[in-house]
Amino acid sequence: MKKVCSIVAMLGLGVSLLFAGGASETAATATGIVPDKTVTGNIMIYTSIYEDIVTMMDNALAEKFPNCNIEFFQGGTGKIQTKVAGEMATGKLGCDMMLVAEPAYSLELNEDGYLHKYLSPNRANLRFDYDKEGAWYPVRVCNMVLAYNPEMYKPSDLATSYKDFATNPALKGYISMGNPLTSGTTMAAAAALSEKYGYVYFDQLGKQQIMIESGSTALAKLETGECKELMILEESVLKKREEEGSSISVIYPDDGVILIPSTVMTVAGDKSANNNIASCEKVTDWLLSEEGQKFIVKGWMHSVLKGWNSGDHIPYDSISTDDLIKKDMGLDWVRCYQQRTEIREAFEKSVSLSK
Amino acid sequence: MRGGREETLTQGRSFDVKWLFIIGIVVFLVLFEVFPMVYMFIKSFFPAKGFSLASYRKTYGYELNQISLRNTLVSAFGTMVLGTLIAFPLAWLVGRTNLYYRKFFRGLCVMTYMVPPYVGAMAWSRLLNPNVGIINVFLRNVFHLSSKTGPFDIYTIGGMIWVLTSFYYPYAFITISRAMEKMDPSLEEASRISGASPWKTLWTITLPMMTPSIIAGALLVFVSAASAYGIPSIIGANAKVKIPTVTTRIIDYVGLGVDGLSDAMSLAVFLMLLANFVLYISTFVVGKRKYITVSGKSTRPNTVDLGRWRVFFTVLMFLFAFIMIVLPFVTVGLTSITKNLGKSVWEKGNFTTMHWSRIFSRKDVFLSVKNSLLYAVITATFGIIVSVVMANLLERTTIKGRRIPDFLITVGSGTPSVVIALGLIMTMRGQFGINLYNTMWIMIIAYLVKYLMMGMRTVVSAMSQIHVSLEECSRISGAGWLKTTWRITIPLIAPSIAAGWFLIFIPTFYELSMSTLLYSKDTQVIGYKLHYYWTYTSQQQASAIAFGILVFIVILNSVLNKLTKGEFSI
Repeated sequence: MKKVCSIVAMLGLGVSLLFAGGASETAATATGIVPDKTVTGNIMIYTSIYEDIVTMMDNALAEKFPNCNIEFFQGGTGKIQTKVAGEMATGKLGCDMMLVAEPAYSLELNEDGYLHKYLSPNRANLRFDYDKEGAWYPVRVCNMVLAYNPEMYKPSDLATSYKDFATNPALKGYISMGNPLTSGTTMAAAAALSEKYGYVYFDQLGKQQIMIESGSTALAKLETGECKELMILEESVLKKREEEGSSISVIYPDDGVILIPSTVMTVAGDKSANNNIASCEKVTDWLLSEEGQKFIVKGWMHSVLKGWNSGDHIPYDSISTDDLIKKDMGLDWVRCYQQRTEIREAFEKSVSLSK
Repeated sequence: MRGGREETLTQGRSFDVKWLFIIGIVVFLVLFEVFPMVYMFIKSFFPAKGFSLASYRKTYGYELNQISLRNTLVSAFGTMVLGTLIAFPLAWLVGRTNLYYRKFFRGLCVMTYMVPPYVGAMAWSRLLNPNVGIINVFLRNVFHLSSKTGPFDIYTIGGMIWVLTSFYYPYAFITISRAMEKMDPSLEEASRISGASPWKTLWTITLPMMTPSIIAGALLVFVSAASAYGIPSIIGANAKVKIPTVTTRIIDYVGLGVDGLSDAMSLAVFLMLLANFVLYISTFVVGKRKYITVSGKSTRPNTVDLGRWRVFFTVLMFLFAFIMIVLPFVTVGLTSITKNLGKSVWEKGNFTTMHWSRIFSRKDVFLSVKNSLLYAVITATFGIIVSVVMANLLERTTIKGRRIPDFLITVGSGTPSVVIALGLIMTMRGQFGINLYNTMWIMIIAYLVKYLMMGMRTVVSAMSQIHVSLEECSRISGAGWLKTTWRITIPLIAPSIAAGWFLIFIPTFYELSMSTLLYSKDTQVIGYKLHYYWTYTSQQQASAIAFGILVFIVILNSVLNKLTKGEFSI
């Protein structure tokens, strides 16, 4: 009897191990990701997301789609646009998907017939506009704000609105922002501000002797006191706060934040590098899913999903996304795309030629 | 004499193997240097379908571009003058006098050649920014200045000239030093015997004899400064009145897609013409005035005794080295271990190794270091092989056509980096049968076109000092041209080959201007990565990378010095 019992017990253990083994193939990994082994082939993604966030996304995608070789090319929006423009001349792009900052670029590519249309089942959960035919979806929300160093200045001594930022005489020679020629998010901010205040806003920035530089350089200047206040992406400040324990803080301007729902696009099969449309669709779905959006929030950007407003659903040290949406200045993406050259030139003339 | 030697060396051969090398080098240069430049030049007149000057009218009629042209000329001219004023006395002091620690100072003088120029811009913007620059704050405190800014402002054209000078004067220093080492001392000796003081000899004999080399060095500084990108991109954007230059405008245009490319090409033509004009002056006008008497065999110029000025000049050299080299590099080093840049690194809790551990944990940094090493080794090795062959052809033969590759290599080195990169982007995408776009080869080719001359001039200079008799012995004993070169010539000039290799390796290793236009997913290099980290990630992490590059190059330099028993020098 003992023998029979032990055989049964051994069999039971064996079966349970077998099931456990089988279950491990679809179980969540340590990071909580449930792998999908049905997605295969190669996918090349062009993106303007900061490199260390790309690294994080890259690792997450490798866990999610272990049988698919997903690679990223990272560069500023300007660099990617130039690269794509060059590749268009050969009739085929070097990528399968794009995650760039400026939604206006999606409108342009879609108009030129470069995008694959796919209706993602996750689209119903989105709180931002998307292309109704599925050519592009918002995948992350960048937020242009003001920032300052509380160890050196009080917010009351600084600008609390974009308007004040460009006119407060105490800030002359002490403010900084990005370059709309190379940064998609700064281009969007320039479009929004010129839409709200007219091109005179750029003249005022020029008279304020605003420094034109990237976020990292500007943040260092805020730290040293070389700058008093910056126009910068919220994610850059939050990253510095969490990773380095920095006290640099965000001011959500009174006249509105500038929300930039950056998009994900899949290149039309015949114009893409690997013509791996089925896999690209799966990747799009995952990016728009709760699992994928966690990594967006981890990367200090806001989620595009409805109802994500607190705790782990918003970036470290940030505020409710819905509250930000209420404060959003808003901008006409069609104008941003159609008048891109005009806006850039107006900015250049006012800021670079200002004496 | 040369003709006779050539006849001896090539007698009895129906086909001269040297031609293979000449043809190979010429084909390479025509394909990857001449063709892209000519194509770009022609294409700039055909922005759409037909001939049009619209692109030129638009580009050159735009006030911002006009300002950038003026800034480029002013900053390059200022750098040339200041750089030469620094380089000549330095070259003389460390090369021809009994200054204390001459060898040490010589190494320091070329130190800034060994690190990326934009690292200097990073350091100087921390030291001399008008609001809270470390030196400015120090001076305001010491002299109780009431102003909240200054007294210095690095974000001006003067500031830009200062930083450009600190990184480009070594070009003039190296050129002038080499010429000084080759100088025949007999005229100076005659001057001294006739009763002239060392100073009078310097002014009346040495300086006039060195004039062509000084001008050549100065023009090299001019072209290098005019085509610099890293320094203007960091200094110019922060200025109260912005200081765009032609290179920063070109890179801006390239970022604007197709329309931008045609504007970039029109603007690049200016740099191309300017560089070639300067090159023409340097090669055909100044180069023909042979004041220097080079005896053809090794000479050892006499040493000038500084007498009671010896200590004074040594102290002055220490001061120069401190301001120009130690201060900026220490600033970069300290930045890399500072947590909050607004506080002193020595303040409690502000010292950190976090930035170093971050860069050591990043795969992308390692990949770019690996790429840079690989590309720089390939470029330097291929470049030095071409240099040895070219030196052999130029110094040991009178074979017709040998000046063609020499000329093309010189033109390539004088061509601004962004122009070379743009030309290659326009022509090497496969539409003309060669597709190198997004590969490492497009980068290696660009580096070769730009930096080949640095190696070639070093090897040519060394070979001109080696007497031909040993090679003749080898040839008479039955060895062919290749065997003689391999067994006799190369061992004789080995230290110069190492120096030439190093001269190509260094700028290739940290190159930025071309890499920023040519890199792709798998071909990111450390120059681009460093600029990226500075721009988008963290200044402290960028400083850690920059300091790491500096340490690596200094170690490599020391190893080469050891291997060549101190004979290696750049």
